[in-house]
Amino acid sequence: MTGGGDIVLACRDLSVGYERPVLEHVDLSIGRGEIVALLGGSGCGKSTLLRTLVGLLPPLAGTVELFGRPLYELPLDDRNRLLARTGTAFQQDALFGSMTLEDNIALPLCELTRVPAPVVAEMVRMRLALVGLAGLEHRLPGELSGGQRKRAALARASILDPELMFCDEPSAGLDPAVAAGIDETLLQFRAVLGITLAVVSHELESIRTIADRAVLFADGGIRAAGTIDELSRSRDPEVFGFFHRVAERPRGPASIAT
Amino acid sequence: MEPPATTIERDGRGAVAHLHGDLVMPRIREVYAALRAVARQREVATLVLDFSDAGRLDSSGVAVVTLIGRQLAGGGRRLDLAHLGEQHRAALALAPAPVERAEPAAPAEDAPEASGWWRWPGWIERLGERVADAGASVRAFAGLTAATCRQLAVVVARRARMPAGALRHHIEVMGAGAIFVVALLSFLTGMTMAFQGAVQLQRFGAGVFVADLIGMSMVRELVPLMTAVIITGRTGAAIAAELGTMRARSEIDALATMGIDPVRFLIVPRMIAITAIGPALTLMGIFVGVLGGMLVAAGTLDMPPVTFWSRVVDRVTLWDFAHGLGKSLVFAWIIGLSGSHLGMRASGDAGSVGTATTRTVVVSVFSIIVVDALFATITTYTRHL
Repeated sequence: MTGGGDIVLACRDLSVGYERPVLEHVDLSIGRGEIVALLGGSGCGKSTLLRTLVGLLPPLAGTVELFGRPLYELPLDDRNRLLARTGTAFQQDALFGSMTLEDNIALPLCELTRVPAPVVAEMVRMRLALVGLAGLEHRLPGELSGGQRKRAALARASILDPELMFCDEPSAGLDPAVAAGIDETLLQFRAVLGITLAVVSHELESIRTIADRAVLFADGGIRAAGTIDELSRSRDPEVFGFFHRVAERPRGPASIAT
Repeated sequence: MEPPATTIERDGRGAVAHLHGDLVMPRIREVYAALRAVARQREVATLVLDFSDAGRLDSSGVAVVTLIGRQLAGGGRRLDLAHLGEQHRAALALAPAPVERAEPAAPAEDAPEASGWWRWPGWIERLGERVADAGASVRAFAGLTAATCRQLAVVVARRARMPAGALRHHIEVMGAGAIFVVALLSFLTGMTMAFQGAVQLQRFGAGVFVADLIGMSMVRELVPLMTAVIITGRTGAAIAAELGTMRARSEIDALATMGIDPVRFLIVPRMIAITAIGPALTLMGIFVGVLGGMLVAAGTLDMPPVTFWSRVVDRVTLWDFAHGLGKSLVFAWIIGLSGSHLGMRASGDAGSVGTATTRTVVVSVFSIIVVDALFATITTYTRHL
């Protein structure tokens, strides 16, 4: 599976999982400026794959190349420098509960750059405005709603203007209006900041709105890949079922005879 | 040598800042300093930023333009932008409208959300799994210890910073909060030892040796051990609970993906704090414990405090202090590393945080007593300390 242009992320014959592989033989590339959706049913291994792509879970086999460099073969300091060029928004927001929104979002700037404090404050204010949280700088994460926390997580993940951003289920569990707002924010990230996005999701509406390409995972590997239109027209039962919301039937012999 | 990011041209009450190259985070400190210096000159009524030679503009560049614009507007002056490129215009679209006041916080939408070992088949496998788990845990503990020492060296060598204010915060929480309880328990222990010792020693007409008993036992054994147990209950358990909760909420993963080393950010400040407060609390406990014994000796044996004190000073050597304080340092590291290791290994649920906390207390107290016995054995046989 290849994207066009300058490749920012490439996986070759990748197997991921905990002790036993959940996904195997994954070949995937993402080109600069693309928004690629990583799709699949619950438990298919897409979040495990994401953990490997962001440096949290070493692969069982194969390689992950970020910006042309093999992520897991680098010394820790080099790996950290490479990861600082990416941003990750976790499904669980992962905001630091004891820090205000401002401190949460400023953290990567304060830790990894020498940007002066007034500029840091301005960048935080600007980014909060971009995600629709202007004026909430001094709130603690516990004082925010679920949608606001998701948007704050996106703001923190994007504060260093990363070249590549990973988002795990950015709009899961949110009402349609808030989810649409998140999609709008992700599109703005690409348009304004030039960020490439890899989005793990199973929200069909959201995928149709934002993604250029999608990769569908099933049965321990890549089942299909292509543009959203191509996948929507696929005759593969698994792909068709996913895009046309056909209920999954239990596998194996029927338990009740009719 | 890299050319300057800005060159300034003055023309009466106006100034033009020519921007050169990319206005991005690695260069933004220099750009901001130059533009702020111009903006601070009251005689400059209009500042023009000339983007004709400017390269890419990132968020920090936009923030600087916004900030300088606001500083000038505050004094009734003006900022003009000239020769903007397409990328510059797109990036400047990030600049927000002025924020008047905070919205009220919306209510939270959603709150964060066995079998018997003897049963066949599988108990051998389960036993094997436990042994393998223990082995993995020991390897992880050794790895964490090595990583902590490495990051400590990096921080001491000033190649990286600790989070601002973290050390002071941890010393306050771990140390200042424990002073009262350590002092009170040391005082009462000193008193109890003196009562018990006085009764027994008086029977042999050796009441005066109660000072030796108190001095040696407080300095070498009782206070280091008791302080370590108190620090385990207060601080070790807190470290495990904090790190375990952060692990459960993916906060540690978030640090790792930002390229921030979690060991440097979370564990090193705690280890430095506990290294300082372990011996400090022990030293204070020793003096307060001896004071408790001295009061009882004065009351029950009519021993003048000066006599008591001079016997303690004669009997207790600097080596005894080194022994007690050295032990307290080792105990502090056992507590800090156990809490950190078990907290970092907590899985994603609330139950695992409780388990990590309990295990920290059990493992720390057990290890402290084993190490204390080792200290006693080694020093008895070598007879150097």
